Amino acid sequence: MKLIKKQIPLAIVFITGVFTLVSYYVPNKTSIDYIETMNKWQNIVVAFAFLLGLVSLFFSHYHKIARKADGWGYSIFVFVGFLTIVISAYVSGGRQMTDAGLTPLGWSFKYIYNALSGTMFAVLAFYIVSTAYRSFRIKSLQAFVLFVAAFILILGKVPLGQIIWDLALGWTGAGVDQVIEWIMQVPAVAGKRGIMIGISIGAIVTSLKIIFGIEKQYMGKD
Amino acid sequence: MPNNTFRFIPFLFASVLAASPVFAAKSTLPPITGFTAGDMPYDSGSIALLAWDADAGGDTAAAVSPGTLYRVFVSSLETGGWIKAAEFPAGEKMSKNIELPFWAWKVQGNTHALKVELNNYFSGFKDGTVFYFKIAKVKGAAAIESEVVSSVTVSNWFRLDRLNNLILLIILIIVFFWAVFHARRKGLFIRRIAGLDAIDEAIGRATEMGKPIFYVPGIGSMSSISTIASAFILGEVSKKVAQYDSQIKVPHYDPIVMTVCKEVVKQSYMEAGRPDSYREDINQFVSADQFSYAASVDGMISREKPAACFYMGYFMAESLLLAEVGATSGAIQIAGTDVEHQLPFFFTACDYTLIGEELYAAGAYLSKEPMLLSALKVQDFGKLVVMVSVFFSMILVALGARFGWEGFVRGILHLFRNY
Repeated sequence: MKLIKKQIPLAIVFITGVFTLVSYYVPNKTSIDYIETMNKWQNIVVAFAFLLGLVSLFFSHYHKIARKADGWGYSIFVFVGFLTIVISAYVSGGRQMTDAGLTPLGWSFKYIYNALSGTMFAVLAFYIVSTAYRSFRIKSLQAFVLFVAAFILILGKVPLGQIIWDLALGWTGAGVDQVIEWIMQVPAVAGKRGIMIGISIGAIVTSLKIIFGIEKQYMGKD
Repeated sequence: MPNNTFRFIPFLFASVLAASPVFAAKSTLPPITGFTAGDMPYDSGSIALLAWDADAGGDTAAAVSPGTLYRVFVSSLETGGWIKAAEFPAGEKMSKNIELPFWAWKVQGNTHALKVELNNYFSGFKDGTVFYFKIAKVKGAAAIESEVVSSVTVSNWFRLDRLNNLILLIILIIVFFWAVFHARRKGLFIRRIAGLDAIDEAIGRATEMGKPIFYVPGIGSMSSISTIASAFILGEVSKKVAQYDSQIKVPHYDPIVMTVCKEVVKQSYMEAGRPDSYREDINQFVSADQFSYAASVDGMISREKPAACFYMGYFMAESLLLAEVGATSGAIQIAGTDVEHQLPFFFTACDYTLIGEELYAAGAYLSKEPMLLSALKVQDFGKLVVMVSVFFSMILVALGARFGWEGFVRGILHLFRNY
């Protein structure tokens, strides 16, 4: 049992990991074909896993309705929405557009799905404002630096802000555009690169831990 | 219709003329010398490398006589079927412009060098297929052609240009094994990570309040390192949740991640001695669409008012949509991601945020297994190598720039570049 649950999966991870790592340094067609094959296999696994996801979705919402759990009414919309799209896709032959115009499937996408997605994305703008308000409360030196940088950026992006800058600090000779450019190109990029270097090295070490079987929590401990 | 046909006649005429040897014969331009075709090194066998002598003093476009152009033709036949692969002014596409590091490419002084991507013109060819090339040098009405040369491209076995990358990797692997084999049972200092120390506090709060914990693993697939790291953290979090007999909910975007996380959570409940508390609906698939997922999880958070929310993994625009709703609901929020442009949103909306590498280190930090903790040393060593090399290279590049050592500066910059 340990062989099937532990050693064989670890061997697969090791072999696949080493081959994939080596293929980065080997430009040969064999290596390219290997990566393409792995991608195809991954797509096949994803397709089957999607079925599992669907079963999980239906299972959890069915139980919510059956138990009359809090908010069970929302669960009905999962089934209604699913059936609506499946039926409209069947009626439309899987096409969103024909010579006659939008099919029922296309209509659902354009006037329901896209509208809802757009709404969610638009909500982000309001959340950014409330988050900005929270971050502008100066509680520490770091928060003060953040506030100053953000304030200059906001000031430079509106015409009134540029006028205020020119009136108040025009004598310095530094335009607000130049200050913004410096903030974005020097301290912001320096911080970002520092984070990215740490992330890259962390990713390499995590990959090594997985390839060499040091980290195997993702497959349980038995 | 006839008008359209006539409109194309001058273009057709010009194209035929350009590739015609008769046209090339009447010219006063200096001949093309040293024309060779070969295989481009370190590639999969789809690129041919052409080289020929530039006109005297012609290593910059300004130095050669203005208006002189090169047209490069390729064919799979020796006698016809020419396809124009490139056209550029004389003085461009020099040997020094080939983007390869000094250890993989020897710059030839006053020489043109051009890579021809054969896949753009021929499909499905095999190693050993012969291709023919010729060049036409054109200036105004005058033109001259080179002789036809042939080349065979081969699929290479090693990317010598990535040698710098490989050496760094080998060093890290050696240090990795050294660290793992010398893993100390105790006494290894690991700096405190406030976000991870707060996990106990968050779970305790959820237990006291009798409210659930939401663990959001993001929208990454299982091939994303941050998602894998998130699965490790989920294992430790769910073990503590099982010990405290609290509730955890893990909404998923990716069905494969859900399958893996189910195993991880089940295992954690067993290790905590609470297999009876494990339920199949702890992990549930929500949607494989970014905003549908965000809307659904936001709805769950708004309705259930969890005591704690964890956002660990790969996040894009939904990061703020989730974190802001969590903050509004009054939950303790701990986030971690390696997507650097989402970090500011988590910083502002969450109580604690793990930055990139801290997310990777979290599994080891929480599990306290000596071998995993020792591997953290490798991360620190890697950062030390980068810091020291960047510091000294910065000084060398500054000195090189000051004294005009162009080749030296270029060599140093090559060392830090990814090819």
